[in-house]
Amino acid sequence: MTTAVTESRTGGGGESTAVAARARQVVKAYGSGETEVVALDRVDVEIARGAFTAIMGPSGSGKSTLMHCLAGLDAVTSGQIWVGDTEITSLKDKKLTRLRRDKIGFIFQAFNLLPTLNALENITLPMDIAGVRPDREWLDRVVSTVGLSGRLKHRPSELSGGQQQRVAVARALASRPEIIFGDEPTGNLDSRAGAEVLGFLRRSVDELGQTIVMVTHDPVAAAYADRVLYLADGRLVDEMWRPTAESVLDRMKAFDTFGRVS
Amino acid sequence: MTLLRTSLRNFFAHKGRMVLSGLAVVLSVAFVCGTLVFTDTMTTTFDKLFADSSANVTVSPDDEEDDERPSTGIPATLPASVVEEAGRAEGAERAFGLAVSMAVTVVDSDNKSISPTTGAPTIATNWTELDERTMKLTSGELPEGPAEVAVDADTAKKHGLELGDELRTIAAPGDFTAKISGIVTFEATNPGAAVLYFDTAVVQERLLADPEAFTHVAVVAADGVSDELLKKQVLAAVGQGYAVQTQAEFTDELKADMGFLDVMKWVLLGFALIALLVGVFLIVNTFSMLVAQRTREIGLMRAIGADRRQVNRSVLVEAVLLGLFGSLVGVAAGVGLAVGLMALMNSFGMSLSTDDLTITWVTPVVGVALGVLVTVLAAYLPARRAGRVSPMAALRDSGVPQDGSAGRVRAVAGLVLTGGGALALLFAARADEAAPGALMLALGVLLSLVGFVLVGPLLASVVVRGLSVVVLRLWGPVGRLAERNALRNPRRTGATGAALMIGLALVASLSVVGASMVASADRELDRSVGADFIVSNDMGAPITPKAAEAVRSAPRLAHVTEYRALGGVEVTLPGGEEVRHDAVAASPTYAEDVRVETVEGRMADAYRQGAVSVDEAFADKHGLSVGDEVSLRYRDGDAEPLRIAAVTSKEASLDGGVMFLGIRTAETFVPEARMPLPMLMFGKAEEGQEAAAYQGLKERMEPFPQYQVRDQADYKAQLREQVGQLLNMVYGLLALAIIVAILGVVNTLALSVVERTREIGLMRAIGLSRRQLRRMIRLESVVIALFGALLGLGLGLVWGAAAQQLLALEGLRVLEIPWATIVTVFFGAAVVGLVAALVPAFRAGRMNVLSAIATE
Repeated sequence: MTTAVTESRTGGGGESTAVAARARQVVKAYGSGETEVVALDRVDVEIARGAFTAIMGPSGSGKSTLMHCLAGLDAVTSGQIWVGDTEITSLKDKKLTRLRRDKIGFIFQAFNLLPTLNALENITLPMDIAGVRPDREWLDRVVSTVGLSGRLKHRPSELSGGQQQRVAVARALASRPEIIFGDEPTGNLDSRAGAEVLGFLRRSVDELGQTIVMVTHDPVAAAYADRVLYLADGRLVDEMWRPTAESVLDRMKAFDTFGRVS
Repeated sequence: MTLLRTSLRNFFAHKGRMVLSGLAVVLSVAFVCGTLVFTDTMTTTFDKLFADSSANVTVSPDDEEDDERPSTGIPATLPASVVEEAGRAEGAERAFGLAVSMAVTVVDSDNKSISPTTGAPTIATNWTELDERTMKLTSGELPEGPAEVAVDADTAKKHGLELGDELRTIAAPGDFTAKISGIVTFEATNPGAAVLYFDTAVVQERLLADPEAFTHVAVVAADGVSDELLKKQVLAAVGQGYAVQTQAEFTDELKADMGFLDVMKWVLLGFALIALLVGVFLIVNTFSMLVAQRTREIGLMRAIGADRRQVNRSVLVEAVLLGLFGSLVGVAAGVGLAVGLMALMNSFGMSLSTDDLTITWVTPVVGVALGVLVTVLAAYLPARRAGRVSPMAALRDSGVPQDGSAGRVRAVAGLVLTGGGALALLFAARADEAAPGALMLALGVLLSLVGFVLVGPLLASVVVRGLSVVVLRLWGPVGRLAERNALRNPRRTGATGAALMIGLALVASLSVVGASMVASADRELDRSVGADFIVSNDMGAPITPKAAEAVRSAPRLAHVTEYRALGGVEVTLPGGEEVRHDAVAASPTYAEDVRVETVEGRMADAYRQGAVSVDEAFADKHGLSVGDEVSLRYRDGDAEPLRIAAVTSKEASLDGGVMFLGIRTAETFVPEARMPLPMLMFGKAEEGQEAAAYQGLKERMEPFPQYQVRDQADYKAQLREQVGQLLNMVYGLLALAIIVAILGVVNTLALSVVERTREIGLMRAIGLSRRQLRRMIRLESVVIALFGALLGLGLGLVWGAAAQQLLALEGLRVLEIPWATIVTVFFGAAVVGLVAALVPAFRAGRMNVLSAIATE
């Protein structure tokens, strides 16, 4: 494995750098002394622009922590992280918040939407907060891509779980962030609704040039990605290009056996 | 048992969320208990003082008519012979005379009055063995001879008096000066009075105007003789015509004068109950939120077999615990409050000792019972809602059960009650008689209040939307989020706003009544007072002959009018029937000074010799009209036939129900010694000389600092100030209810922030800055506070206007709405909202984004 980036597609932002986010020697430790737990242990990773990256690993492997650190939600113990050209590890809360607002999109496993706002208001919320007028044309395209045109005036409680996640995807896409992070975005959905959402994510990469990083433990979900990173015990242990559900599953089984033997 | 344990665990697990509800209980119970302890302590204190300062048996002049006795400025007396007679009574160890006058004003060498400003009396008396029980000479000597006086230490300290200083005593028989020979100190509680001791002969000659007279005789019982027995013997010894009282009877009478303590107690308790009522909203909100947050847990309990009653009870047990903790702390805080109040009173010139601190069993029992009962009642509805949670709720992701139909029932009930209240208020405003009108007013206030509380949630959605169009939109998306949050649970917003509404409605209505009072009096003065100046004493003491002479001698006065209140007079009607009615004797110029409207005849004629006026009600009742003859008799004097020259209108607001007659006419049937001193004197300046005359009159009155000289502008200013003071006092007491309501806003916000932890985390993750988050919470708080203020002010204005319409019957004819106060309260509410949001907003801002997202 020479470099994490094989092919560069033009990202939504249209910038020249081929790397959307980068982590160098990132350590995340909880507690101190004897009780210290290392969640991330000197992780180096680069996220290719315009690609769909999945992060996999068993529970406690640090995959969520890695995503949180990359997204500026969590502070690292040491090491550096860049989003685009910005080094975020030294940023204070105010700038970090602004970075999340302007450059990053989020899709969580559950509770993605504000219950008091309707679907459209939820989609435009990050732009509203920023005081930016949404790009009408782009918004229409995103909305129609995720197939929500008829449901924009509905409150989250009036939408199904799959529809709610699609609203979340639309929100993440609407402000054209440099990078979208998904934390088990299909974890709460049945396989059909899940497939739908993953399909939209895939299409947004292919058609809209979006960069996506997704944490998952589901081989089927991972199969939608261009590249799969495997984490174990806070370290990047392997990666796979153009995965299929079977190959991902096989690789995981291999880790399992490996893990047990060692 | 398991359920009880669950309740206990829940209670302690969520004690943070109960803190503010608990505080509301603590504050209200503390106020209740503080009031009880304070008034009980005052009662004990005065009982002790009265018992210490009265003899086994006291003989007084027969004071059957004392209540109606018009003031001659000299106390009623009994002859010195009574002392000897009483002393000779069987069972009497000894007797001695007391000479006491409270109709004195004492000034220092700068002509400054040393009388208390609190309303407590100035007492000039002779030193007897009774005084030795409560007072101790702490420096100098007891007074001897005509030029010496001893003064109490508290008064001396307050006015910087020292031995050798001269004091001038002003009384009806004349002035005299005396040097301070000694300072005496209260060993019991000083009720705040200024006490001066003179030689017995000095009091008799200078204050009682009779060297052979006393005001009371104190009789000391011989060993083994009961007060009751002694009373009988003394009665036999002194004969008819005197009041003879045992110590118990005498002190009971003094205690009756302390009735204001009882009034104070009930007024304070009333305000405490208002605060408690406001606290109910807080408790309801807290338990509603706890139940909503625990829906899944409750569903699980139901699923594994707990029945409704058990769930219901488990919530109520938490309420009992909250009430119990809150009221126990409240009782303790109440005792502290009472001690603090005593310290406050001490700084106003009383000396209350904490040795007398009286805590009866009633205090803690009432405090705890009230606290627990109110808490449980407030938690009842949320508890019932908890009982209704279906076992299915355990399976649902989240879900606050919405109760649509109950909401509709509630709204309809609220609208009906509000309508009924409005109708009652309308009747009250249109009422022709005060008593049924007052009942309607009370009913209207109650119904509209309950109605508003019930429609609160409905109003919340309307008013918050309206407010957000005006205010929130200015803040863009953050404002919109705040609006949505405030609208999310109208019931919660409604209850929080309603708590604030209660206090502010009372503030608004009272401010309307107060302002109307001032405006009405202003108009009445402009309309009916022709005099330029009024001379009076603020305590209602009469004007001494010397002072009256000074008024008359003032330069540039066109005329001077004396106003003497005769009190009750026996009136013989043309038919021979005799009735008692109040009469006022005044100089004929009074007709120009104060315009009293007539329905028949002219007032000027009523002051002519041999004439009198009667009021319309009296004339109607007894079928009198101008030209009829009535006889007037005063006490033991002779009857004098008088002709009715005028009938005064019942619309007249000053002195509406009395007879007027000239002073000369009064002199024909009132014995000279019984003729009351003037209560008021009026002056009219010569044309164009108002300023000079006012100056001159003030100069003449300088030696008489006990009297105030006012022109019309002063008089209006004084009235305004008095009403203002009264209102401020009431506002001060309402502050407790408003503080509890503010706690309610804090409570709602704090619990909402906890409830919305995940939402806040999400918003922070997608880019809401801390500042925007805090602003969102502040705006929500401001909107809730403004909602409460709008409701309260609206309700209060209607109440106030209805009350004014009703009180128009009593002379409150002008409706004045104090817009400055109303606007201040409204914007004050916005500030309250900002302050209430401080802590919740700070805590929300500090929330860790990741843990907020991760919170299950």
